Amino acid sequence: MHEELLAGRVRGSTVLELRGITKRYPGVVANDAIDFEMRAGEIHAILGENGAGKTTLMKIVYGLMQPDEGEIYVGGQKVKLQSPLDAIQLGIGMVHQNRKLVNAHTVMENIILGHPNAGRVLNLKRAEEEIDELCRRYGFSVDLKASVWQLSEGEKQVVEILKALHRGAKILILDEPTSALAPPETKKLLTSVEAMADDELAIIPFITHKLPIVLSTSHRITVLRRGRVIARVDTARATEQSLAREMVGREVMFQVERPVVETGKPVLQVEKLSALSSRGFMAVKDVSFTVREGEIFGIAGVSGNGQHELAEVLAGLRKAEAGKVTLDGTEITDALPIKRWQAGLGYIPSERNEVGSIGDFTLVENVAMNYYFDDTFTHRGIMDYGSIRKLTEDLIADYGVATPNADVKGKNLSGGNLQKIILARVLNRNPRLVIANLPTQGLDVGATEFVQNKLIEAKKNKAAVLLISEDLDEIMAISDWIAPMYEGEFMAIVSADNADREQIGAMMAGLRLERQEQ
Amino acid sequence: MKIGARELKVEKRPSLSGWHAALISIAALLVALLLFSILFIVSGVDPLEAYKGIISYAFLNQFGLPLTINRFIFLLLCTNAFIIPYRAGLWNIGMTGQLYMGALAVFGVLALLGARRNGAVAVPPLVVIPILLVVAAAGGAAYAAIAGGLKGKYNINEIVITMIMNFIAFWLVSFMIKEGGAFMGRGGEGESFQLPANINAPLIAGVPFTLFVALGLALLLNFMFARTKLGFQIRAYGKSPAAARYAGINPVRLPILVFALGGIMAGLAGYHYFAAVPGVYKITGNYGYYGDLAFYGIICGLIAMGNPIASIPVALLFGGLSIGGRYIQGKLHMSFGVDYALLGVLMITLVGFQYFYNNQIVLKSNRESSKEESLDVGVHSPES
Amino acid sequence: MWEFIARSLEASTIFTLAALGELLGQRSGILNVGIEGIMLFGATFGFMAAQNSDSYAVGFAVAILVGALLGSLHGFFSITLGVDQVVSGMGIWILGFGLTTFIGNPYTGPLGMDRIPTIAGFSPFFILSVVLVAVMWFVLAKTSLGLRIRSVGENPSVAEVSGINVARTRYMCVVVGGMLMGFAGAVYSLDYNPVWNYNFLMGWGFIALALVFFSLWNPWILLGGSLLFGFLWQLSLNPQLFLPGVFSRYIWRTVPFVITLLVLLVMSTKWFRAKWGSAKPEALGEPYVKG
Repeated sequence: MHEELLAGRVRGSTVLELRGITKRYPGVVANDAIDFEMRAGEIHAILGENGAGKTTLMKIVYGLMQPDEGEIYVGGQKVKLQSPLDAIQLGIGMVHQNRKLVNAHTVMENIILGHPNAGRVLNLKRAEEEIDELCRRYGFSVDLKASVWQLSEGEKQVVEILKALHRGAKILILDEPTSALAPPETKKLLTSVEAMADDELAIIPFITHKLPIVLSTSHRITVLRRGRVIARVDTARATEQSLAREMVGREVMFQVERPVVETGKPVLQVEKLSALSSRGFMAVKDVSFTVREGEIFGIAGVSGNGQHELAEVLAGLRKAEAGKVTLDGTEITDALPIKRWQAGLGYIPSERNEVGSIGDFTLVENVAMNYYFDDTFTHRGIMDYGSIRKLTEDLIADYGVATPNADVKGKNLSGGNLQKIILARVLNRNPRLVIANLPTQGLDVGATEFVQNKLIEAKKNKAAVLLISEDLDEIMAISDWIAPMYEGEFMAIVSADNADREQIGAMMAGLRLERQEQ
Repeated sequence: MKIGARELKVEKRPSLSGWHAALISIAALLVALLLFSILFIVSGVDPLEAYKGIISYAFLNQFGLPLTINRFIFLLLCTNAFIIPYRAGLWNIGMTGQLYMGALAVFGVLALLGARRNGAVAVPPLVVIPILLVVAAAGGAAYAAIAGGLKGKYNINEIVITMIMNFIAFWLVSFMIKEGGAFMGRGGEGESFQLPANINAPLIAGVPFTLFVALGLALLLNFMFARTKLGFQIRAYGKSPAAARYAGINPVRLPILVFALGGIMAGLAGYHYFAAVPGVYKITGNYGYYGDLAFYGIICGLIAMGNPIASIPVALLFGGLSIGGRYIQGKLHMSFGVDYALLGVLMITLVGFQYFYNNQIVLKSNRESSKEESLDVGVHSPES
Repeated sequence: MWEFIARSLEASTIFTLAALGELLGQRSGILNVGIEGIMLFGATFGFMAAQNSDSYAVGFAVAILVGALLGSLHGFFSITLGVDQVVSGMGIWILGFGLTTFIGNPYTGPLGMDRIPTIAGFSPFFILSVVLVAVMWFVLAKTSLGLRIRSVGENPSVAEVSGINVARTRYMCVVVGGMLMGFAGAVYSLDYNPVWNYNFLMGWGFIALALVFFSLWNPWILLGGSLLFGFLWQLSLNPQLFLPGVFSRYIWRTVPFVITLLVLLVMSTKWFRAKWGSAKPEALGEPYVKG
């Protein structure tokens, strides 16, 4: 069905062209002579793994970064993009994955921020009319008076799109547009995107996973790997397998083994737990579940639906408003974090740079974060750094952490290696309960597989594992139980054996299933 | 900036070694002294002559040297009072108030023992002096702990709290020693009563024993940061409160603890100046001057980069500079406040040099820079 | 009594002006703990200039100019060099404290000029400060410039990708803020108490800093706070007017400081936060690195 569209579109005029874009960092060539061309009315996806150079390329096109070599043409004119302002003025708009919105401000204020015609004294009435018109045309709806922090991820994305369109964007960059959306929201977004393409806008989605969406929506696809353009194909001629092979450079197995382990006693029991978000609204509502020895309990949800708060409550980093949490039969609802660690909790936080590690600490000190309170490593208040060093070196070897030695600072490790260190030091405690909050986010395929296998290993060693992930495929692949979470509640708790991908996707978007299996 | 085929570039510093830190600090000091020369020249004084005068009086003169040593003891304690919270990422600029509280505690105990009424204390000095040290430390610690608690529990800006508590303590001292206050000396207004002669801090080779207390504490602190669990907790909290909390460090108790420890140092500094410096032995009417001197502790702490061992030479140097500055002010007939002005210029120069703790200037050839290899293991992935 | 009220308003004027300068900077994300230092500079140089030229206009102009220079110095350190804002602010405070002690010392004593006339019993600066509060509110809440300033303070990277020059906006705010602080210092030394002596401010700047925290970054609440503290400050100097014989005068001097602590404490309780929310600019105190 795309043949026809494509035929019509590719003849449209070229609106953006990149020639030989190269960008180097110490030790890495992030973009290596990239050529790229974009026509009006076209949806041209850029596909690549983390680390393939997508972010750098995006930043260059949006003026956030300047290439070392290469030329950029907009509407046939050679241009220099020194700042986002240059890009905006040339009609380039960007929708960021980590939303670039001011949380404390209203939707309206966010949309008109920086707009040259906003008026010295803000003219809100005119802006409102203009925005309403855009909403009508592309099927968006949003409350202009709401504060951004009150919005869901999907709504925030709409605000970003409206903002770009309101500034007159003709070329729209979408960074991982579907990553934070539940499947039905994704569908709605794609309809709007197609409407925009019909209006002769050029749309460039940058995408890591979700190949089916790329195949169903785009007209052309450019695949990046290690900073180079590996392939440029008409979507009609691509398949999921061919794209995956191009992206990764080898055949990929989308499967990790899910061994069946005999489950034992309940380790974590959560009863009617409620908690507030940092903004003060109820983020976790009356959640109850149990995780037993030897099983992985997966919580699937689009970010911002309370799973992060839930993890923090369990780790003792956030107060429970109501309910009860027990670990191995002992109540820990209000216990200090240190007591939980000592009772057998192992928490792998999602913010590995801000919470999980200390950038200015050496690896030895980073490992010490989970051991300084153990009698084995601390005697009468004096720390035995010798033993901790030995442990660190062992962990580095066992987990294959790429580092010359244990005295390297945490901030000098790549994301994957840092995650390995965090994982290693937590799992080495042989915790009874492992809470892994987005453990593979931002990791490449190899590191992802590694982390997943380690979680499975922990399960084999009779630990109870609570996995929180936004990636439904990951949840489906390794969990024994799956709980889709939406607006602070579990929509259901489903055994992995009879889980249906479509159905769980729908529940992540709020559809309730009246079937409690556990 | 380009120089031929080479280029002068500013880069992020991957890590800062002790040597580099020391070099930067020395450079900052030299630049500050150079800048300060302008003030000498404007005042019609030959800067070289002035610096020679400062150094020779402060370190080589038989009258100046004891003054320098006493000030050094005071500054070392104040510096460590600043350093302990600083290592936890918190700003204690309340050394002034804390040292006043230490001094008030000392004179309070002495008053209770009848020192004001009788001019003497019946209890033997060997018992009283240790008690005085303990109450001075406790007074400073308790006062500082309030600030720590307000920070830890309520997250109120600790700079505002400690500074405001300085002013409260300042007026409380006036209340106690002036206009009929409980510690007012018998001679008249404006000063506290005199320490009984047998309670004066013992001198070792003419130097108050507090020198060894201050040095010993500096060494102990260094050990604490490097080797103990508490030191680890403080450093972790200082680098990242969120990560420290994750690791089980109590975010309410830790600020209270570091402020209390800092307060101990400041309280002892109060004991030192008002009960151990020969010739003083009372809370003088111009106690505000000593209180303001405590701010030197901030500069010393920053230059020492929070290292208690490094703070020893730094405090010695700054003690000498402030004593020598005051001396040449009189000798060269300069306006009052040369030592204060020096304090200000040193501080602002140091602030500018903070930049070099995170950045370095490198000279590299253009060809190399285009295909340079990363020496760092850190594959700084651009995608993050 | 009228005299007391007029003095209170004059005192509150100084708090308002200095705190308004701080508020502007903080709204753009720059914390300046060196207010007291900039005020000391403005007061001292304004005093010297006025006395030497026998002109108030020159005095105020010099004070404002010195304030602008120190504001840009703080900007240079904290925006351009990326030095910790607290370190930079402390530096400016200690520089102000140290240098003005030395430079101002020969001027110790009264100003010796005719007092600045009042308008219907009010200090002209009081009227000006109220006008400035209104202007500040209008600019921040209703104009494009204000939206830009607030965005830079909340989330500079958002502002950057919206095409706003973060550094320039912040510089503007700290420089204008510095001018207001320098001016506030001169109002002290030329109008409120025209006598120069050693470290005469004794905490005005730090109270102004605290006032910004409890204004919830709203100029009108700031004005209310300043009026309260102007009154408290004046009361602490003249307790005998209201409560003769209660407490020593030294205890009265602690009152404004103690109340500052108490107000900060109440404002930080959960109860207050739940009721009023936290209006603190999200990026306050954090250096911004492009990209």
